[in-house]
Amino acid sequence: MNGKKQAAAAVLSSGIALASIVLSGLLLKGEARADSADNFDSEAFSMKDGRQVYEHICRGCHMANAGGAVGAGRFPALTKNPALGSTQYMALTILMGKRNMPAFGAKYAVGFGGPPVTLSEAQIAAVINYVRTNFGNHYRDPITAAQVGALDRSAR
Amino acid sequence: MTEKSGTALSRRQLLTMIGVSAGATAMYQAMHSLGFAAESKFQGPIRLSAAPAGASVLVLGAGIAGLVAAYELRNAGYKVQVLEYNARAGGRNWTLRGGDRYTELGGETQECRFDPGLYINPGPWRLPYHHRGMLSYCKRLGVALEPFVQINYNAYLHGPKAFGGKPQRLRAVQADYDGHVAELLAKATRNHALDADVTAEDQAILLSSLRSSGALDSDYRFVKGPDSSERRGFERDPGGGLSARPAFSEPIALSDLLRSGLWATLSFGALYDMQTTMFQPVGGMGQVGQAFARELAPLIRYNAKVVDIHQDERGVSATFEDTGAGSGRQTARADWCVCTIPLSILGQVPMNVGAPMARAIAAVPYCTGLKVGLQFKRRFWEEDEQIYGGITYTDLPIGQISYPSSRFFADGKGVLLGAYIWDMRNSMDFTSMTPAERVSKAVEYGSQIHPQYTKEFDNGIAVAWHRVPSAMGCFGLWSDEARAEHYDNLCAFDGRIVLAGEHASYMPAWQEGAVTSALDAIDRLHQRAHAAGAAA
Repeated sequence: MNGKKQAAAAVLSSGIALASIVLSGLLLKGEARADSADNFDSEAFSMKDGRQVYEHICRGCHMANAGGAVGAGRFPALTKNPALGSTQYMALTILMGKRNMPAFGAKYAVGFGGPPVTLSEAQIAAVINYVRTNFGNHYRDPITAAQVGALDRSAR
Repeated sequence: MTEKSGTALSRRQLLTMIGVSAGATAMYQAMHSLGFAAESKFQGPIRLSAAPAGASVLVLGAGIAGLVAAYELRNAGYKVQVLEYNARAGGRNWTLRGGDRYTELGGETQECRFDPGLYINPGPWRLPYHHRGMLSYCKRLGVALEPFVQINYNAYLHGPKAFGGKPQRLRAVQADYDGHVAELLAKATRNHALDADVTAEDQAILLSSLRSSGALDSDYRFVKGPDSSERRGFERDPGGGLSARPAFSEPIALSDLLRSGLWATLSFGALYDMQTTMFQPVGGMGQVGQAFARELAPLIRYNAKVVDIHQDERGVSATFEDTGAGSGRQTARADWCVCTIPLSILGQVPMNVGAPMARAIAAVPYCTGLKVGLQFKRRFWEEDEQIYGGITYTDLPIGQISYPSSRFFADGKGVLLGAYIWDMRNSMDFTSMTPAERVSKAVEYGSQIHPQYTKEFDNGIAVAWHRVPSAMGCFGLWSDEARAEHYDNLCAFDGRIVLAGEHASYMPAWQEGAVTSALDAIDRLHQRAHAAGAAA
């Protein structure tokens, strides 16, 4: 997997600054995001803050209030969810994906029509810690980027 | 295509690197050239012999795969029941028109406020001429087809950093790219750089062909003049009378063209899946699902959410909830089951199949595609810019703007496809927005290409496929590794259950994949039913 990993790493390290694009004069309904930026103008998903990662990626399925959703199937809620008790479980799920949830680890992520969306160890740790301390969650044992990295190396 | 070990790159690694270094379009193109888009296996209408007496089939899902399976099995004499989650048939074959209401996961409801006759296809929207299965069913079901304009030389190629953000006509970029490359190759030929590879006799032919293909002048140069303007267009078009004399246009310099990156989408229209002639159903792609629904009306049970699938030695039972009535659980049962529920959902439905199929179902995440339809007060793209159908490609997150291929020159309002995003990063980002935010972002970005947006925008509607309750994803996102390990297990019968849908095909996202997978599945079902009948 070296070629792919290097390619993904090259994307992540390209470090082009995020352009903040401000919405102008259009009224928005529903729950708008904390920032009005989007990902455009960066080669990869470069936002580092846990809240930003949640609001620009996870929120698509897990929803603004992390309540998940039910249709013909369901997107799990990230509130009152015992799986949140394990930072390792969360990290591995984000790294490797689970069923309909895509993998975000560089070793596992699949793209279509472009590079896959990958998250760094630091981004994964940040979003886990954000989810576990928001939406009514009050966990007190954060995970570090190094711990995510160790899990990534131990998987498979 | 076999994966090689050692230092050789896998296809996926190669594609990823292409994507990183050359951009999404190059990667998409490479995917096609590596056979991701295989030719339809459709060999003409399936001819099943008569069903065994009393044999029954339960079809789960009334999308294209389920509808094809139900239609053909019913015609062969099977007793068919179809369970469908939505209140309509078609699945991802779907058209939104004025008056339609759509509630996405998360609970936000959008009302489509398009004028009568205007629509957007949130899912599939075009039919290549070689998707013979889909075309065949359209003909058999009386669904009228019209041309879908894929390639429009007067549409734009756009990059926010290319040429100061000024959109360039496809016509000019194509002509200039072809012309400059032909000139370089002619120069190399005449400088004897190709002597080792091309005989002197063939070099003369090559030079003639380069003049022809690149619109070179008599000195093998691609320069401002009649030859190049006949391809890229004129500064002032030729006419009649005293104002007749044309003014030639100035080609873009080679270096500017290369650095603009706009060449990246040039070959889109040359892809096998995108070549003319393409078609669309008159009045929207959803006409196909509706035509099947009319044909199969008494067999389809709508608002049926399947919550459990259980097979035993004699048949298959599906437990479902009626989402409309809110009544308790009911069960449908048949000898066999064709299950077309998307894997994004099927992975959560208890079903007693063996580990190989179960692991295959769990191995496929779904792509995060997204579309935005925008209504404008007038068809400014036609009136101001002479763009009749076709697609403008942009590096902006909206990906593309597609102009309607019907009702040309009509007065009144018009609807554009204002965003079609299948790039994962941007589509995840847009999915995370509220519907109103997606629409306003599409307007904001599109106005960089068409300044008329600001004044003429009327209303819009946005469909993010991961938020569609019946699909929870756009299409199965197979990796090479997952396909090698799981695809055959996904498609193989498990007891009395067989899966079908675009996810059970080598044509991801295309309806033709659903058609051909359904036909393949019911052909095998039919053989098994007869074998079982003979054994009984």
